[in-house]
Amino acid sequence: MTVLILTSEEDVTADMVVSKLHGTGTPVLRLDPADLPGKAVLSADYAHGDFDGHLSVNGHVLSMGGLRSIWVRRPGEPAAHAADPSPWLTAETRQALYGMLHSAAARWMNHPRSADQARLKPWQLRVAHLSGFAVPPTVFTTAPRLAREFVEEHRDVVVKSASGPPPGDPALALPTTLIGPDADFSAVAAGPALLQRYVPKRADIRLTCVGPRLFAARKTAEPGQVDGRYGDTGQGWEPVPVPERIGKSVHEYVTLAGLAYAAFDFAEDEDGIWWFLECNQGGQFGFVELETGQPISETVALWLAQWRSDRNPVRLR
Amino acid sequence: MQPFTLKYALPRGISAAVTPYHFDPARQLNMLPNGRPAVSDPDLLLAVGTTTSTAGSATHFDD
Repeated sequence: MTVLILTSEEDVTADMVVSKLHGTGTPVLRLDPADLPGKAVLSADYAHGDFDGHLSVNGHVLSMGGLRSIWVRRPGEPAAHAADPSPWLTAETRQALYGMLHSAAARWMNHPRSADQARLKPWQLRVAHLSGFAVPPTVFTTAPRLAREFVEEHRDVVVKSASGPPPGDPALALPTTLIGPDADFSAVAAGPALLQRYVPKRADIRLTCVGPRLFAARKTAEPGQVDGRYGDTGQGWEPVPVPERIGKSVHEYVTLAGLAYAAFDFAEDEDGIWWFLECNQGGQFGFVELETGQPISETVALWLAQWRSDRNPVRLR
Repeated sequence: MQPFTLKYALPRGISAAVTPYHFDPARQLNMLPNGRPAVSDPDLLLAVGTTTSTAGSATHFDD
C-alpha cells in the first residue's frame, strides 16, 4: 500500500517525511499536480460498475487499489507545467486527478473539503471560540466607521491579511502591523480589513498537531515585536510542554474542523496566557523540527503509513 | 482606491539564495552535490530558509 504525496519537487520539508517512509519500507509516490499532463500520466477507468485508476511519474507507478493515504502538502496548480497551460487545462486536469483520488478509499491529510474551509480566517476565529481558546477581539469589516470605532475602543490594534500578500510583480509582504487611531479608515470601504486587538507578547508559540500528537515550540519575542515571521530576533525555537487546557482545545478544534494536521499560532502574554492567532491547516513544520528536534516528520510518516480508510470505498454495485 | 490592508504592504525583496540541492526523481528526494540527501544536513536547511513559515509560494499562504 502506497502513500501519495502531492507537493513540489523543491519541497525539502516533504523530503523529511519521504526519508522516514523510505526508512520503514513504505512505498511512496511523490507527485506535483503541476506536472500533469506531461511528466506525470494519469488514467482512471469507470466501467462495468467498477473503478480503478493509475498514476505514474518518474518511473514510479501507483494503482488506486493500492493507495493507502494522501498527504496534500504543497501541490502546484494542475497543468501549471504543461507545454500549453491554460485555465481550462488546469480545470480539466483538476477534475481528472482529484476526481480519481476522491474515488479511492484513502485517508487524507488534510481532506480538501476540510482544508478549504479551514483556510477561512474568520471561520477559524469562530471555531477557536467554540473550542475554548482565548481569542483577541477581532473585526472583519468594509465599514470605515466600524473600523475606526474598533480602534478607538481597543487602542492597540493590528491589521493583517486573511489571504496572504497579493500575487504579482513586484513581490510584496504583508506583515501583521500595528495601526494607530489616526489612520485613514476611508480605504476600509475598498476592501475587507481584518483588525485585531494587539496582544503584547513575551513569546510566540507554534503548536503542531499531527493526528492525536501535539508538539509545542516557543520563541521569546522582542519587546514590542508584532509579527515574529519577519526580522531576526536572535531567539530560537525551543520545545515546551502543552498545557492541559490548550491540548483539550486543540483536539476540540481539529475535530470540529475535520483536520488530521494543523499548525497553530499563539501569542503568549505576560500572564502566560496563550492567545489564539490562527490555525494553518498546511503550516510549515520543517523549521520547528530542525530547531527543536521534535519528531514531527516521523509522526506524519507514521500517520500516513497506518492503514485505515476515512470512509468506505465508493461502491457502484 | 487602494484597500486599507494594502497600505501596510512592504516590498518583499528578491531572494538571491540558490538552493544547493537538486531533485532526484528515482529517490524522490532532493540531493546534495556530495550524493547525500539534503535532509541529512539540518544546518544547511536552516541556513537556506526553505522550511520556514515565510517560505510558502504565492499559492500557499497558510504557512
